[in-house]
Amino acid sequence: MSRPFLGFGLGLRTDHYTYIEEHQPDIDWFEILSENYMVPGGKPLAHLDRIRADYPMVMHGVSLSIGSTDPLDLDYLARLKTLAERVEPHWVSDHLCWTRVDHTNSHDLLPLPYNEAAIAHIAERIRQVQDYLGRQILIENLSSYVTYHASEMPEWEFLDEIARRADCLILLDINNIYVSAHNHHFDPVDYLDGMSPERVMQFHLAGHAQAGVMIIDTHDHPVCDPVWDLYAHALQRFGAVSTMIERDDDIPDFPELRAELAIAERIAGKILPAPALQTSHTALRGIA
Amino acid sequence: MDGLRELQQAFLGHLLGEGSPIVGAIESTADASVAERLSIYATGYRLRLKEALETDYPRLHAYLGDALFDRLSDAYIDRYRSHGTSLRGYSRHMGELLGELSPFSTLPVLGEIERIERAFNHSFDAADRPPPNPGLLERIPPATWPDMRPTLHPSVTLLPLRYNSFAIWQALANETLPPEPTDAPATWLIWRRGLVSRYRALPAHEAEVLHAICDGEPFGALCEHLLEHFAAEAVPREAALLLQSWLTEQVVATLDWEATPPSC
Ligand SMILES: [Fe+2]
Repeated sequence: MSRPFLGFGLGLRTDHYTYIEEHQPDIDWFEILSENYMVPGGKPLAHLDRIRADYPMVMHGVSLSIGSTDPLDLDYLARLKTLAERVEPHWVSDHLCWTRVDHTNSHDLLPLPYNEAAIAHIAERIRQVQDYLGRQILIENLSSYVTYHASEMPEWEFLDEIARRADCLILLDINNIYVSAHNHHFDPVDYLDGMSPERVMQFHLAGHAQAGVMIIDTHDHPVCDPVWDLYAHALQRFGAVSTMIERDDDIPDFPELRAELAIAERIAGKILPAPALQTSHTALRGIA
Repeated sequence: MDGLRELQQAFLGHLLGEGSPIVGAIESTADASVAERLSIYATGYRLRLKEALETDYPRLHAYLGDALFDRLSDAYIDRYRSHGTSLRGYSRHMGELLGELSPFSTLPVLGEIERIERAFNHSFDAADRPPPNPGLLERIPPATWPDMRPTLHPSVTLLPLRYNSFAIWQALANETLPPEPTDAPATWLIWRRGLVSRYRALPAHEAEVLHAICDGEPFGALCEHLLEHFAAEAVPREAALLLQSWLTEQVVATLDWEATPPSC
């Protein structure tokens, strides 16, 4: 399958707006947090437009609540669609989770039981979202801290099956696989090997924090060595997949994060042949 | 708890600190109990809501100090759930809580600081309007002046305050010692020009006319307000000066002499 490859990106964060606009750093693309730009006007949208003029973007949301048993939030979907019309992202993603029920929002990415009923419920909702947005979406695996008795299969089978039935794409968060593997005692390599490669469109990398025996997905540290090793395995299995680092707390200066992203580029350069790492974004930028 | 919906309701109930059957739905492991695992979510829930309140009210936080602000936040989170898809707007009941909850309710200056911060938050990302055309005033047909209606920029808040809350807010913003609360009635204007939030105290006549614009009054009626402050022959000039300065400052976004009355 010819999967578009955007290259190596970073999450766009407010701390870095000025640096990016002044220096136009050498970076292939940015991922924006959709909700940050669902505002009427002012600085967020002004910076977004300026930076979008120079870089390809993808949109990443946290509020779709695709696994919820509340009805889909049509108002949210309308705002997401409006933002997508403004940004013209290469793709739009959210998480395989639920965030609210009975109209009360937890503002957290809460885990689902991995069973047939949930698969059927979620695959149908993803189809509705894709029909409404007029595009395939990516869904991302979580870091999680609980396992339900109601789960009947490993997480990777659940994710893979939903993607197949919904005909959607996958954002694989390598750090989340590492965190959940630690917290739930499975082998993260089994997760990667259990995913069918054709739908994996993007990788997330991030840091985490140890809290007692558990690992928490905090996005406040650099990517750790075992996650880089897992990333290398993922590249061997999936080939060239657009890769970015998420950093949401203790955010360093832009050049420091850019240097961390260069580690990903070096690992990919060792594993994949140069032609595979040709970004398609020059061509794609022409379309967008 | 067979269904997904019951499971989600039980999980949420746990986050809200209610008695919940969720514990029975979750696997325990040798290294981490169900309670330990669930506490990661329950702690995270309160932490995120608290961060939203801290983000929206940095000066109120500084004025109260950590201990009192924690108490206020805890009471807020216990009382108000978040119904929106984003945390933007979660804090909108803060004024109500400050007015009702002791000891905060005994210090009315707190409510005013809250309104100042809310006005700045609103100005930050309120809707954009293009800067008014410099020649706009000349384009108004003379016969339509009395019915012409100015529309304020969406970022504008008019804040009638009774105390010196703005001086307190400024001191907190500059990280200097805030003055003691005293009576200092004035109306303040907070808005955004371009991408930068601005503020200033309003003279009485200007405050009165801006309130009248908010109420959708046409230019003819605005001039009548000015009659209470200026001699009749000075009113047209004063009105024109005000209008020109609001257009320059982008406090007024548009002038409508054909459209239906706007509101704000
Ligand atoms: Fe992620």
